[in-house]
Amino acid sequence: MADARSSVLRENATPPAALISKPATDPAETLQAHADSLIGAGERVVARLQTDLNADLHFHQGLIVLTNQRLLHLELGAGPRIQVTPWKLTEVDELTLEEYGATAALNLQNQGSGIFHWRLTGGRVREADSLVAKFRAQRKLALANAPEETDTEEPEPTEDDAGGPPRKALLRLWQFGQPWRNQLVLAFILTLASTWAVMVWSYLITPLTDELAQTHGPVRKEKVLLYILGMAGASVAAWALSWIKTWLLARVSERVASQLRRQTFNHLQRLSLAYFNKKRTGDLIRRISSDTDEICFFMSVNLIGFADDILMLLFTAIYLLNVDPTIAIVALGPLPIVAYLVNRVREKLRGGFAAGSRAWSQMSSVLTDTIPGVRVVKAFAQEAREIERFRAADQLVLDCNDRVNKTWSFFSPMITLLTDAGLLVVWGYGAWSVAHGKITVGQLSGFVILIGRFYARLDSMSRMLAAVQRAAASAHRVFDLLDVKPDMPVTAETKSVGRLKGEIELKDVKFRYGSRQIMRGVSLKIAPGEMIGLVGSSGAGKTTLVNLVCRFFEVSEGAIFVDGMDLRELNVEDYRRNLGLVLQEPYLFFGTILENIAYGKQHATREEIIAAARAARAHEFIMKLADGYDSMVGERGQQLSGGERQRISIARALLINPSILILDEATSAVDTETEREIQAALDNLITGRTTIAIAHRLGTLRKANRLVVMENGKIVEIGSHESLLEAGGAYARLHEAMMEVTNG
Amino acid sequence: MSQELAKNFTLEMEPNGSLTFVATDGTRTEKAKPVRLFPLTDPESWIAVVSSEGRELACVEDLQTLPEAVRTTLLAACGKRDFVPVIKSIKSVTRAANGHTWTVMTDRGESIFQTESDESIQPLGQDRVVVIDSRNTRYLVPDVNKLDPKSRQKLERYY
Repeated sequence: MADARSSVLRENATPPAALISKPATDPAETLQAHADSLIGAGERVVARLQTDLNADLHFHQGLIVLTNQRLLHLELGAGPRIQVTPWKLTEVDELTLEEYGATAALNLQNQGSGIFHWRLTGGRVREADSLVAKFRAQRKLALANAPEETDTEEPEPTEDDAGGPPRKALLRLWQFGQPWRNQLVLAFILTLASTWAVMVWSYLITPLTDELAQTHGPVRKEKVLLYILGMAGASVAAWALSWIKTWLLARVSERVASQLRRQTFNHLQRLSLAYFNKKRTGDLIRRISSDTDEICFFMSVNLIGFADDILMLLFTAIYLLNVDPTIAIVALGPLPIVAYLVNRVREKLRGGFAAGSRAWSQMSSVLTDTIPGVRVVKAFAQEAREIERFRAADQLVLDCNDRVNKTWSFFSPMITLLTDAGLLVVWGYGAWSVAHGKITVGQLSGFVILIGRFYARLDSMSRMLAAVQRAAASAHRVFDLLDVKPDMPVTAETKSVGRLKGEIELKDVKFRYGSRQIMRGVSLKIAPGEMIGLVGSSGAGKTTLVNLVCRFFEVSEGAIFVDGMDLRELNVEDYRRNLGLVLQEPYLFFGTILENIAYGKQHATREEIIAAARAARAHEFIMKLADGYDSMVGERGQQLSGGERQRISIARALLINPSILILDEATSAVDTETEREIQAALDNLITGRTTIAIAHRLGTLRKANRLVVMENGKIVEIGSHESLLEAGGAYARLHEAMMEVTNG
Repeated sequence: MSQELAKNFTLEMEPNGSLTFVATDGTRTEKAKPVRLFPLTDPESWIAVVSSEGRELACVEDLQTLPEAVRTTLLAACGKRDFVPVIKSIKSVTRAANGHTWTVMTDRGESIFQTESDESIQPLGQDRVVVIDSRNTRYLVPDVNKLDPKSRQKLERYY
């Protein structure tokens, strides 16, 4: 410890702005590496923040490093120099973050006067915010002279690790092939064997032709028969071997692809709501479905084939060189040209397929957008516009494919031409050699067959290029998705909880979405069994508050406690088992009503389900349906009214018997009559549960113990309906506005 | 719960074939209807009796708990309403102008019907399939595995 202190002192003894030269590479890395070298023993990095602007708002790389003792600022100086400015945490007062729309500023102050000023782009505000929070915590600790603290550096999310080359993505596939390693090796051996069996032909054709073309004496029938039988045997063997190989490979590749699909979907399920808000459904669907299929096709058809082709080429080349070096060299003449072409074309194809894949995604996105939204499309008579939108997306696909095909259509015949050239050379040279008695007709035939196969291999290999690049692009997109880190950090030791009492406490909760501050410090304590009505205009942060309580989003600052436990320390799944959620737009999955009600509790008995449906006032209308509880609902199912769907979703929430209930505008999508029905159902649901209800119709909150009025991400008023009306504040205004609407 | 459901009730079949529900206290509800709650997945249990306006009068999970006479009446009333033919074998499925034409042998005799789309064939849990024709009749296949292999092959193309 003493050692660490002295090192810090030494560091501080140097002038604040030290100039140290450093070879220039990637600025961010250079800064990072340099920062690491400045950390003394006993000093621990708590947070890092890359700044990307200078005071004039020009792009400029900088790095702020917060340790348990100091705050360091690093930036690239003139030339290959790094400018370092350190401050001891005990020497500075305050670090504040100010937002200016697309950019933000960090200000470091001491005793009221500014010491340093950083600017950064809006995308980094979230990280900056957490840096500020950590700075405050560390400063407090430093002042309290308690250098040991458990908070360690969180790994920073690297945004650009998806930018790796596609080839790497293909190599990563191997890790999915691992469980079937033995089968893959077996398939490869079988491939080799069948390749070898094929080569028997060219081996036997030489003596066969020579026997037939010989001039001294009659053709020996039994010898000819033997050769032909040998060739037939080789063919049968090749057939059997490649049959088994194909079957084996298809089997393995289907399994790898299925593994990939499942893993991707599992991963997707673990991602937070915030991720889904950002992503287009069509794109995600495509990645899991067609992209994995592309990979599967590649593996079953091309992967081993490619390896086999390479080996075969090698064998043939060696064999040829052995038999007749001259003819071999002549025959292999076009090879360098082919290699050059392949290299050129590969680059083009890779870009083309990546673009094609993106275009496909875009097209699927248009479909997943338009088909579920068909009512809106028709209502606004925008069919023509959607047709145009689809046409544009499809045009993009067409253009991308054209681009690839242009390269491709030239490349493929070109290879054929080159192979033909190679063959012609062999024929020409061979004819000359035979004429001069250097080789026999048999040898020539053997050669021609061998070379023919050689070039066929080359041809198929070059054709595989497209498949390889296509699969690489697909693999890249799949791994892209797999590499998204769940932004809900799973704390190592989460507490598993059983049934909760349902006490909720929000302590100075702040939440930032992108660069927008949505929650600006909300504190609220809700007793078990209490019903809270959340009111306020749209955009006040009501739904965000509910999302935070559900832990769909993570609080940026502050904390939420449930039964006295920090929400972040609880096992999310355990916690959510205590949650009942009724949304404005009830979502029914494709399946029977029974399955939909039992969604949260798969093994509920029919009795429980019927009881829940009764309590939710759904039982009677379900009985009127032709198939009762067996009626299909959801995307392709029975048409149910909004109120009916809502009551099914209430039954679903009731069945899991939650201790905390969230009603997010549960009745705002239906008419007053239905609302009364739903309200009755909700009254059954609310009893004995902590309830947070959001409603625009203030009347629906009559059962609420307290009304909480929100404005601009803050709580402005709390109280009962009467007391709030009397106070004449925000609630009174909302109430008045609503009365005007209903009476007017 | 919201409603009081009768436990000990009796049922009377009127001469005109309609059902009258008699509650424990003797209140009579005429033109009552039996409703199977799970007509496709569990037709044998969970039968409710509702009034002509759709109000639930009684709900029985296990018919064996009912007195013999009531059960017979209830099942007779159900029998008048139930119509879910069970497919025994599928003779042919051919592509028609708008969907498919099925020729099947059911427990109620041979039937030829039309389905409109792939969505007309719905799997209900494991191995149970319902085929809904264009007139909204449900044809049930309680267990796909119990069909003869040829029928199963025809059906498997569609679900």
